[in-house]
Amino acid sequence: MPMNELLPAIMAFVTALVSIVATWLAVQEKDLLAAVLFSALQSTCYALIYYLLMAPDIVLVYLPVSVGILPLITVILVKKTERYEE
Amino acid sequence: MKLSDVVIGVSMTMLAVLISYLMVYGGLGPIASYSLRPLATSFLNYTYNPWNAVYSALSPEAVTAIVWDFRGLDTYFETSVLFIAIVGLVALFRGAGIAQGISSRGLSIIVKTSTKIVAPLILVAGASLAFHGHLSPGGGFQGGSFMAVAMVLIAITFSIEFLHQKGLSLSTLLTIRCVGLLAIAVVSVYLLIKAMLLGGSAYIFQNMIRMNSSYSMPSWFIDRPLGGTLFFFNLSESIAVIGGLTLGAILLLLREEELRAVIGGEERE
Repeated sequence: MPMNELLPAIMAFVTALVSIVATWLAVQEKDLLAAVLFSALQSTCYALIYYLLMAPDIVLVYLPVSVGILPLITVILVKKTERYEE
Repeated sequence: MKLSDVVIGVSMTMLAVLISYLMVYGGLGPIASYSLRPLATSFLNYTYNPWNAVYSALSPEAVTAIVWDFRGLDTYFETSVLFIAIVGLVALFRGAGIAQGISSRGLSIIVKTSTKIVAPLILVAGASLAFHGHLSPGGGFQGGSFMAVAMVLIAITFSIEFLHQKGLSLSTLLTIRCVGLLAIAVVSVYLLIKAMLLGGSAYIFQNMIRMNSSYSMPSWFIDRPLGGTLFFFNLSESIAVIGGLTLGAILLLLREEELRAVIGGEERE
């Protein structure tokens, strides 16, 4: 297989590894605000994978919803309850 | 130095390198391999085929053509689901309003100034996504949610009282939402009503001319494809989404002490 066709697959693989790290950090983190940020990082990785799989429409839905609106609602929830997990 | 710091640093560096490489790589040419081209050809045969408009949606963007033309009724019900969620939120927060008099100053001047620069850019990007949804990737929901993010950014940075003073009260946002949904409904039955009045036959969610219907939505704007209903659907959907999502976020942003007085009720033993 030529390098030209293999490269997007390798990049998607590395991005998926980074997203696993981000997910692990989001689960481990006791500061819930930082956990929201890690979750947004994981969403960014997923958006990159969608772009590599040639789904630009899904990227454009996924970015505002998962990086904009979902962290917003979670931050409001954290603000109205408690910031640190016991 | 903790292990998690190292992991975060390495991950972020890898991501930054990947994104920069991807921008260069994607700018040089299409990522898709040549073996996938026949698939795109077969889709374009039905979404953009000016020589045979009877079987075509006349939109170069296949996803928008499928979402709003081939399965338009399905997308209409998806929009209704979001509307029902907003209605539920409004019913839960009934009676609550943005309190006047408690002047909130918002965040610091640095944040305000950078928001003044960034928010118009996001609004313009969202509007271009919505208006060009039938030509390039994007569409009504995408553009609308981009613009809603900018509105919420303004609401947080300048306080929700600022938006209220500029005329975007809760009822105005709900009205914007309803106007968008009404426009979708009107566009979907426009050709049917036209055919009823002038004679002939037409269908719900009809876009271009079909086998036994000679009515058609406008397919060209000067020398650019307009995609018939697709442009109007995208426009209405973006208006509906920007109203709905901003309304939902502002309702959630209301201060809890003020809300308790309205919706709290009494403790029941």
